[in-house]
Amino acid sequence: MTIGVTINSLPVINSSTSMYRDFGTSFIFVLIGIILVAVPLLLQRILSPRRKTAEKMSTYECGEDVEGPAWVKFNIRFYVIALIFIIFDVEVVFLFPWAVVYKELGLFAFVEMMIFLGILALGLAYVWRKGDLEWVKYSVPYGRGRYRKLTIIEETPASPAPAPQETAA
Amino acid sequence: MGNIQSISYFLPELMVIATVVVALIADLVYSDRNSYKVGYLVIAGLVVASFTLWLSLPEETTPIFLNTIVVDPFSRIFKFVFLLATFIVVLMSMNSDELKGVRTGEYYTLMAAMVLGMSLMASSVDLIMVYLSIEIVSIISFILAGYLRAQVRSNEAALKYVIYGAFSSGLMLYGLSLLYGLTGTTKLFQLSGSISSLGPGSNLTLTVSTILMLAGFGYKVAIVPFHFWTPDVYEGAPTPVTAYLSVAPKAAGFALLIRFFNTLFGTGQPLNSPVWQAMEGVPWQDILMVLAAVTMTVGNLVAIQQKNIKRLLAYSSIAHAGYILMGVPVLSQEGVYAIVFYIIVYLFMQLGAFSLAIVVSNRYGTEIIEEYSGIGWKSPYLGFFMAVFMFSLTGIPPTAGFIGKMYLFAALINGGSQFYWLAIIGVLNSVISLYYYMRVVKVMYFQGGREKDLYVPGGMSAAIVLAMAIPSIYFGVRWSFLADWVNSSLKFFIAGF
Repeated sequence: MTIGVTINSLPVINSSTSMYRDFGTSFIFVLIGIILVAVPLLLQRILSPRRKTAEKMSTYECGEDVEGPAWVKFNIRFYVIALIFIIFDVEVVFLFPWAVVYKELGLFAFVEMMIFLGILALGLAYVWRKGDLEWVKYSVPYGRGRYRKLTIIEETPASPAPAPQETAA
Repeated sequence: MGNIQSISYFLPELMVIATVVVALIADLVYSDRNSYKVGYLVIAGLVVASFTLWLSLPEETTPIFLNTIVVDPFSRIFKFVFLLATFIVVLMSMNSDELKGVRTGEYYTLMAAMVLGMSLMASSVDLIMVYLSIEIVSIISFILAGYLRAQVRSNEAALKYVIYGAFSSGLMLYGLSLLYGLTGTTKLFQLSGSISSLGPGSNLTLTVSTILMLAGFGYKVAIVPFHFWTPDVYEGAPTPVTAYLSVAPKAAGFALLIRFFNTLFGTGQPLNSPVWQAMEGVPWQDILMVLAAVTMTVGNLVAIQQKNIKRLLAYSSIAHAGYILMGVPVLSQEGVYAIVFYIIVYLFMQLGAFSLAIVVSNRYGTEIIEEYSGIGWKSPYLGFFMAVFMFSLTGIPPTAGFIGKMYLFAALINGGSQFYWLAIIGVLNSVISLYYYMRVVKVMYFQGGREKDLYVPGGMSAAIVLAMAIPSIYFGVRWSFLADWVNSSLKFFIAGF
């Protein structure tokens, strides 16, 4: 409906109507944006089954505690992932201005950006080869590696109550 | 000059960057056992970079990359120093037992990347570039210091280094921001103009900013109030890394210090007139003089008590930073000449002493000075050259260290009567240093049994020791070649943009 109105006003070109036309375009853009968000939300509300459990109602389903002291140990793996993310985030930041002036700069800009991307891709190859994309780097069979300490504690009779469960976890 | 035209002036650094990329790819391909071969690639890359640098015009003085860095004879000679130091240290690392059994591909790659950072340090003329280049060098140093992940003391070294580094770079950043706040520009040459037109009202701010920036520079070159990381890091880091840290980043720090203070606070034409006037109002000359005196004295006095050879050389490197720093406040061409000359001489003797420490540790498994007893008889090769380096570090006449010290003191004496006290303290410190350097020689020759196993280290180690020892003696006898080269390199980029 609104699209039709915009197209009808196309042939009339003077300054005031062209301004309206520009705003009309933005209006349609906003409208479609709202529809695209609202319709799937509505659809899933109608279609999806709802079985609420305590887990599902918590803020983060992945198991992070929402409340508690701030001095908790974060797994170092989060930082590795964050660092990798930053590399490629910065890459995109550089790509936007490059894309804007790409036509004017031509081949030179292309070559330059490919070198830049190549070096960044080398970074990806590096983290891949070093195994930093694996969430679990290597698995240790029970009784070996980091679980070895546990068996030693069980063998020594002198220490009556070591808390082996905690070390194992 | 714009970015695209600048590239042709940036070729040596581009070669280093290419080396880093190639070494990184090679390290991904090699297995753990073959990872050390990356070192050969890095050596080849450094040779190519040196060659490119050699081919570049020696008299060229141009600001490049939108006036953030400059190409000039002063940075050129320092780039040679960095390339040479890295070249030697890579060779030393290949012959070090400490690094055997560790995957070393990344290690060599990082060293190549450090050359880039140091070259930028020696040539940056923009506050942001100054900070960035210092950070490149620092962060790589942290990783290198902690490279032996399985060793607790290597980890400790890296952690201490990071904490001190973060703190001092924070202080320096604050100093830089004060400077920017006063003048509204980050370019050194515009800063110099703006500062002289500021008037006496901002002298206090300028002084505070100078002290804060000195914290950053002083941390890099290990001058005294900012030296606390040095012994622990030098002791804990793998010995080749210690050798590297005590020479190359120190040289880069001094290059930056000289350029920074001479451009910023010297009025007139830096390095083109024999003596030029310091800016009135900011007592930075006095600050540097006091720091130099304190640095020498603390370094030498604490070195006397050291039992570990690496710690001894660490404190000796602090003392040498003090000697070198004496030349900065003189503000004359002679002073800068003496500094550059001394840095080159210091490179040979310090790397030589460390390469011998590595050989001894490989062969006799010790870093404790007392356990060096009898080495002079067991292995005359090691004993003789260790004595040469110790004599040279002390500054005893037929060695290069003497000529270096002589130029420094001459610059001070010719600089004017306000520098006499500093020269006297410097001479007294040389006397103190004689004690602990000679103690090493004494332990090697006059203590312990005199059994002979006539050990001569294997090919490459022996060659490195020899390659360091020959200049240490030769430049003490005939130094005109080096003197001419240094003299022709004392040209900053000075004109405005």
